Amino acid sequence: MQGEKEKSAKNRVLVIGAGVGGMRAALDLAEAGRSVVLIDKAHSIGGLMTQLDRTFPTNNCDVCTLSPSLSESGRQLDIELMTSTEVVELKGQAGDFSVRLSTQPRHIDLEKCTACGDCLAGFPECVRFTPGLDPRAPTCMRYPQATPYAFSIDLSRCQDVDELVKICKAGAIIPNDRPRSVQVNVGSIVVAAGAQLFDPGKLEVFGHGRFPNVVTSMEYERILSASGPTRGALVRPSDSKRPARIAWIQCVGSRGLQKGANPYCSSACCMYALKEAIVTKERFFKDIQTTIFYMDMRTSGKDYELYYQRAVREYGIRFVRSRPHTIDQDPVTKDLHIAYMPVGGDALREETFDMVVLSTGFQISSDLQELAGRLGIQLNANHFVLGDAFNQVATSKPGIYTCGLFESPKDIPETMVQASAAASNASIHLDPDARIPVDRQEFPPERDVSGEEPRVGVFVCDCEFNIGGVVDVNDVVKSFEGLPQVVVSKMIGHGCSRESLETLRRSIEENKLNRVVVGACSPRSHEPLFQDTLRRAGLNKYLLEMANIRDQGTWVHMDRPAEAAQKVKTLLRMAVARVRLARPLRDHVAPMNRNVLVVGGGVSGMSAALNLAELGFKVTLAEKTGQLGGVAKIISRTLEGADVKAWFEELVRKTTSHRNIEVLTHCSIVDHCGTAGMFTTGLQVGGEYRKVDHGVTILATGAVPNRPDEYLLGKHQAVMTQLDLDGFLEKNAAAVKGWQNVVMIQCVGSRVPENPNCSRVCCQAAVKNALRILEVNPEAMIYVLYRDMRTHGFQEEYYTKARERGVVFVQYEPETKPSVQSNGNGRLTVRFRDPILGRDLILEADCLALSTGFVGNAETVRELASVFHLPTTDDSYFLETHVKLRPVDMSVTGFFIAGTAHAPKTIAESVAQAQAAVGRAQTLLSSETINLGASVAKVEREKCAACLICVRACPFQVPYINAEGYSEIDPARCQGCGICASECPAKAIQLLQYEDDQIMAELEGLFERV
Amino acid sequence: MITAERKPLSELVECVRPYGRILLLGCNECVTVCAAGGRKEVGLLASSLKMAFSKDGKNLDIKEITLERQCDPEYVEELAPHMGEAEAVLSMACGCGVQEVARRFMDKPVFPAVNTKFMGASERQGIWSERCAGCGDCVLGITGGICPIARCSKQLMNGPCGGSSGGKCEVDAEMDCAWQLIWDRLKALGLEKRYEENMPAKDWRPGRGAGPRKIIREDLAR
Amino acid sequence: MENFEPVVVAFACHYCAYTAADMAGTKRLSYPPNVKIIRVPCTGKVDMLHIMKAFEKGADGVCVAACLDGDCHFRTGNVRAASHVDAVRKLLDEIGVGGERLEMVALSAGMGERFAQIATEITEKIRKLGPSPVRKVSVAAGAA
Repeated sequence: MQGEKEKSAKNRVLVIGAGVGGMRAALDLAEAGRSVVLIDKAHSIGGLMTQLDRTFPTNNCDVCTLSPSLSESGRQLDIELMTSTEVVELKGQAGDFSVRLSTQPRHIDLEKCTACGDCLAGFPECVRFTPGLDPRAPTCMRYPQATPYAFSIDLSRCQDVDELVKICKAGAIIPNDRPRSVQVNVGSIVVAAGAQLFDPGKLEVFGHGRFPNVVTSMEYERILSASGPTRGALVRPSDSKRPARIAWIQCVGSRGLQKGANPYCSSACCMYALKEAIVTKERFFKDIQTTIFYMDMRTSGKDYELYYQRAVREYGIRFVRSRPHTIDQDPVTKDLHIAYMPVGGDALREETFDMVVLSTGFQISSDLQELAGRLGIQLNANHFVLGDAFNQVATSKPGIYTCGLFESPKDIPETMVQASAAASNASIHLDPDARIPVDRQEFPPERDVSGEEPRVGVFVCDCEFNIGGVVDVNDVVKSFEGLPQVVVSKMIGHGCSRESLETLRRSIEENKLNRVVVGACSPRSHEPLFQDTLRRAGLNKYLLEMANIRDQGTWVHMDRPAEAAQKVKTLLRMAVARVRLARPLRDHVAPMNRNVLVVGGGVSGMSAALNLAELGFKVTLAEKTGQLGGVAKIISRTLEGADVKAWFEELVRKTTSHRNIEVLTHCSIVDHCGTAGMFTTGLQVGGEYRKVDHGVTILATGAVPNRPDEYLLGKHQAVMTQLDLDGFLEKNAAAVKGWQNVVMIQCVGSRVPENPNCSRVCCQAAVKNALRILEVNPEAMIYVLYRDMRTHGFQEEYYTKARERGVVFVQYEPETKPSVQSNGNGRLTVRFRDPILGRDLILEADCLALSTGFVGNAETVRELASVFHLPTTDDSYFLETHVKLRPVDMSVTGFFIAGTAHAPKTIAESVAQAQAAVGRAQTLLSSETINLGASVAKVEREKCAACLICVRACPFQVPYINAEGYSEIDPARCQGCGICASECPAKAIQLLQYEDDQIMAELEGLFERV
Repeated sequence: MITAERKPLSELVECVRPYGRILLLGCNECVTVCAAGGRKEVGLLASSLKMAFSKDGKNLDIKEITLERQCDPEYVEELAPHMGEAEAVLSMACGCGVQEVARRFMDKPVFPAVNTKFMGASERQGIWSERCAGCGDCVLGITGGICPIARCSKQLMNGPCGGSSGGKCEVDAEMDCAWQLIWDRLKALGLEKRYEENMPAKDWRPGRGAGPRKIIREDLAR
Repeated sequence: MENFEPVVVAFACHYCAYTAADMAGTKRLSYPPNVKIIRVPCTGKVDMLHIMKAFEKGADGVCVAACLDGDCHFRTGNVRAASHVDAVRKLLDEIGVGGERLEMVALSAGMGERFAQIATEITEKIRKLGPSPVRKVSVAAGAA
């Protein structure tokens, strides 16, 4: 059978873990035409992220951004989702693994279960899972949008099985359900098994578990969450009163000072603490005092520093640099006393709080360690997956890749990057010819609605607090009931959840709707999802109109709910007016060009090119300078000691010799046109101009090492950047032997008004160079003057090692910057303030190393942004389409970012993002055709006066006057701007989807008096 | 093509001030091509007029109709069903169209909304210039394809005059001297000799000299 | 006219201004709710007629929000839009509605703050100008 052949190991991947990382990997693979088995040990998917209230830095509700993916996972593509399932045994090797899976009984027939909740109401004791704080102890659904949307029963707790079976009207309860075991053959495996949260119960001094008002950050997220135990009311557990003073304690269980804690930094906690503090103020009460006790604020991701600054300046969150020793509880009030030693203080201070949140980090459970054992992959000393120095997602076993928290502690965007990277690596072991064409989505035939009176359905999301917290959605819905041609008007909760989509679909069919309005978020993100639902209900997808009542309503007018409600109704009225005139349209398609243009020949560009070439795609690699390399060319070793040079030379060799890669040096981008799948870019290669046709573009143009005019850099030979020092140590190691004092200054030219973000790599570079100096000259005294040491993840261990070896780390504030003078004898005089001693120190330094970091590649980024029409950040990095969930996709389809063109990052992080760009790109490249949409200009020949105005106005020279004497516009070439339509003096041209009467109707709706 | 330009709105406002319901006509021929009186211009004018009155509290009812050609009686006849309602007609067609409507509907006041300008050609998007004066006795064959009557400010038959300087006309320094153009073109054609020949005085009778003109195609008209 | 709340219609380009408005939402930037967005694929698609009709139906102000100079996804749409806006301004002046009620702004997709600022400024500007002379009448007529 053909189907069976496609499902052989040649085209199939096993993804272990259905959290955000696993889902992303599974979706990327499936969209690229691969067959995926996605398993999760839990009985619903979503992992840790679904328990978060909202995520930084956008403060979005996560359930909302995630549930479309969940719906995707459960709905389309070739993804076989198996919950309550684990790997029992693995045999074989890359390209041909055989895996035995075991599935625990759910005791529920998913086909029959309607999720009515009767079993739960009757037998609450049969529930086996509740998140930490949940007093409802209700469901095994974990959160309302859980997929699959069905209950799970713990039969061991059930006293009367017969009664339980009877209570289910659908007859879905299967008391004799047994564990099942299946064998699957796969070509490769992605392990996205996540991590668990550190249990602070091990640290008695904080009293978690004993003091009710001490909660972990995850418990706090649940308190904030609308689907949490308090239904989104911010109250403290002891007395359900609103807290007035909340403290966060950072590094609980991380950066290993306490007994039982882990030595590494958990990387995400600083940002989530900031987020929780901001959300507390923003969404609940501005007058709540929020205090964060921290060691170093590690906000080194893209634009995270700006977020930190906002927390300080706009929200007035208080930061105390100190690690509190103990929390005590007042036995009566249950208030909490924190004792701590402030920096530079000489006595313990004590403060009282109503609640304390412990920022707990991540760790690997013994279950995962056993899983690693069964898979035969090695773990590091901290039980995380032992990776490759330059390929984060590789494991010790070929064919098995990893991503997310199991690889190392990290936040969501990095997890998403690694997930896509793992997907692209996993694809290399599959047969490129076995791909299932993805263009084959099956939908029921479209109903012919021509001649029907409009029957409009109005569906309004509450998006939990996002909409429902500002306006009364019920009232909004009511105001549309009974309006002319409006047949249905109803609330749909989280419209984008799988169940709501199903409700929508059913409602369309039952009410014979032929026009649909969805009041929700932006059509930019969610229109395709709702369009698919229309198609599944047998309607043409263009019979949908979205009203953006969240992004342009409740989110921006939350401070004036009455007016927000008015505006929401108006926006919906406009949509209703417009949708009545919506017409069924047909998308135009064109063949997909499967070649890729990679711009930038540094490490990221080369890694992306190589991965693509391995997957069988042809790549043009355009490098501006005369040779491949970028910044990595001048780096000799990584912090961990890996040989960058050898790896780099091998990378260049492979890139230049691969038959699928054409390397063009001295190459600049001149012009560009087309859409994803059919781009044409003009290149200037040396003295010659040529055009390249390609379907996808990957931008890997890098960032530029910063060289600010500060601390005598460039004016004194003993002053150098960390990059210079790296080269110096490689070439002149002997010279270092004579050094007595070395000073390093961090954040030179970063975290300053001109370059406000953190450069991310400098702290680890300083630690690396300090350790290398000590290797050559153990007697050298090294002083690192820093603002916050940001050695995230396992880098922390090298920071610890540096301190053990005697490197002195001295903290400074921007107001009391160190000063440097030449003292005439080739050395330098450095003066700085020691905050612990509380006095100025003066040192004679043989070498001053400045951690100058990176700045955006302003000139190149500006040029390319202009040629390609791409958005950028203020500090000259390319701006991705969604900072959280789509960190490598650009907002223009077909463009992806890799490496430091996105933000400063290490070599391994750059490589991961390059591979991620490939993972994302192959979802497009696997299609045989591209969809050009339906929004094209159409000429009404009877009205055309053949005046040529459209012919002259079109920026793409598409219209022409045909042999019959009227203007003709080729839909396959029309770009859909509508300029011709607005210029036509005879009003003979309409842009489909934006026809004049539709825009007029929208205006009409706006001014309709109700 | 016949070119035209919309009249100032203030003038049009005064034209229609006495009326409450008007018929606003466009023409899908020349005035559409020169962007003076096609469907789009009709829409813009209608909207402008409505607002000009509504701000003073008056509701002006405008019906917009654009005919394929307003200078043909059959097309004009299409207006008949709509005429009853209208108190006056405002036409964005050229003078021919306006008159055809006026002729057919004797009892309705008809106002032109455009000034009909000239017979011209499109230089590029948005720019039209005069090319033909309809003199009834074409001389382009001997003037190198450039008309001295339509394009010379003084309609000289044996130019240029003393006001030609640097290829431009003394009437407007932006304007090309037609006779310079004629000379350049004749030279390019190797027909300099023709320039030497004196042209006789122009007989203006085939033009407007003998009153309004008419063409009768016997084979068609019979 | 103490309680005058202007209605401003913004024709926003999908690629820049509409995205910037979403961005303002993501960042929870507050701005007056008076501005109502109509999404267009490009401001070059905004017909002069659409702008006139917006005023005719009762808008107190109209804003055409386009991409930055040289950034038009369709190369010249924003340039075309600018000339349409100029022409409509003249018409509005001629009929006494006032060309200053129509504004053209340029911004990029990432400029959420700028969008919120524009929305605030335009609303305030139109508030100062008072209700459109067209609307004043139609509202009175509607109330009668």
